[in-house]
Amino acid sequence: MHAFILAGGFATRLWPLTEKRAKPLLPLAGVPIIEYLVRNIPENIPITISTNAVFKDAFETWAQQMNRDNIEVLIEHTQNDDQKLGALGATAQWIQNAKIDDDILLLTGDNYCGFSFDDFIKAASPGTTLIAVHDIGDLEKAKAFGTVLLGEGNTVVGFEEKPKNPKTTLVNTGCYLLEKSILPIIVEHARTHPDDIGGIFEELLQREKPITCFAFSEAWFDIGSFDAYIESTKALVGKKTIIGEGSVIERSQCEGSVVIGQNTNVTDSTITDSVVFEDCKIEDCILHNCVLDKGCHLKGVDLTGKMLREGTYLQKK
Amino acid sequence: MRYKILLLLWLVTDICVFVISYALAYFVRVGFIFSSDFPFDLYIKSALLTAPLWLIVLITTRTFALTRRQRTLRNAAYIIYCALVGVSLFTLLYYFQYNAFFSRLLLITAFIFSSGLVWIWHSIFEYILRHQLYTKTQFPTLIVGVTRESRLLIERLNAEKNPIKPVAILDGRGCKDTEIDGVPVRGKLNKLEEVLQEGITHLVQCSDLEQSLNLLSACRQKKITYMLLPSVLGMVERDEKIETLEGQPVTMVSPKENPLMWFFR
Repeated sequence: MHAFILAGGFATRLWPLTEKRAKPLLPLAGVPIIEYLVRNIPENIPITISTNAVFKDAFETWAQQMNRDNIEVLIEHTQNDDQKLGALGATAQWIQNAKIDDDILLLTGDNYCGFSFDDFIKAASPGTTLIAVHDIGDLEKAKAFGTVLLGEGNTVVGFEEKPKNPKTTLVNTGCYLLEKSILPIIVEHARTHPDDIGGIFEELLQREKPITCFAFSEAWFDIGSFDAYIESTKALVGKKTIIGEGSVIERSQCEGSVVIGQNTNVTDSTITDSVVFEDCKIEDCILHNCVLDKGCHLKGVDLTGKMLREGTYLQKK
Repeated sequence: MRYKILLLLWLVTDICVFVISYALAYFVRVGFIFSSDFPFDLYIKSALLTAPLWLIVLITTRTFALTRRQRTLRNAAYIIYCALVGVSLFTLLYYFQYNAFFSRLLLITAFIFSSGLVWIWHSIFEYILRHQLYTKTQFPTLIVGVTRESRLLIERLNAEKNPIKPVAILDGRGCKDTEIDGVPVRGKLNKLEEVLQEGITHLVQCSDLEQSLNLLSACRQKKITYMLLPSVLGMVERDEKIETLEGQPVTMVSPKENPLMWFFR
């Protein structure tokens, strides 16, 4: 088996946090999102991370610091959104170029999955494609995702991408186990639908290839927006404060879920449900539901629901 | 550099126009002769001394600002007000220097000439300035956000050959157009850094209110002038004003009332 992680997106919805950083490398409770996935993949499975040329160095630096020698960073030669290969296109290109003839654990790099991949892999039956699904518990919320329709047992009978009227609350979590016999179908389908990763499963159903689901109740987050990032931080951190190495907090209150990065100074401030990256200086501020990228200097300001780009200076005179 | 040179030239020529209008007033009132009763050299010396002071007053009205249209009533009102101050300063200077008064009609004529000629010259110079700055793209401007307001703004800036020339558009939500009135839509905000590297001098935010802090921060870092359309804040009726509350700037929209009651707002 080979794990393939899709990390080639430019994550424009999370701008400016993703201005100079790939979304999978965005720290979630102090740890890059992709690291949660990699730590969860059994040691013996080689991992290929597909990203774009813009984030090449960042991924390589990150991969080097992981104590694992079977991680490969594969570069899509794209500089912006318009030139992207597409998720399925990137997968197909890798299958062809690397001559993959093995089962694939396909993961999207911006998702946090709380379940064990070991259990997921064990749940697969030979000749069957497996999809991890999560019961989001709310039909309204399900509208924002791809939903998975089940037949008897765990058999998948249909998919609906962002349905207006969802029939189920089971959503696709971007975690798949692709059986090696279907790889030629992926390559073929990618030629006409390079960006449609969900579409491949509809194609498999049309060709009567069996698909089963692995339903899990553990935490799962699709970190696609500012709100999702804050919500997933709250869920992972709980009502506590994580303080990075070298950071100093003086005469300040941290309430709810707060993550403070390394070498950050917080003085005379109140911070609630916020994430502050490294090398920031916060003095006499009230921050609520905010994310501050590294190197921000704030003094005497109140902010609610803001994402600040790297190096922002806001100092009230 | 071109803008600074043109601006300096504008200031110098304004002084000339002011002095010429006073000289013209002398010849119109006194006749096309040099009177020995009312010597021209003393008169023009006072006008020359008044001119820089008048120019300072004119500068304080921001009539030379890049964003100011010269051929508007508001601008004309500023020029007339400054001409009035100019006449007052001239009268005082002349009296202090020579301890003498002269024809009141001459002062009225000088006031009319200095108002009219300066306004005409400003309209002409604005045309020259716009032509020079627009064709050479001296102030490449980035438009952020595609809305009806921003489309209108781009069309107007281009039609009027405004020195603040739109050269690129970014849209936070992704816009289907590839260009608007000839200005390319370069993509979403993730291209901000790349576009700002291309010598942008002005940024006009037309939507994406949630990103105003970040756009402002980027502008501060790159020494770019930031502008915000009031429509981003929901103000579309063009009745907003920037005022101060105890020294703190506020954007004010007053309830609609009888226009004659504006003073009591």
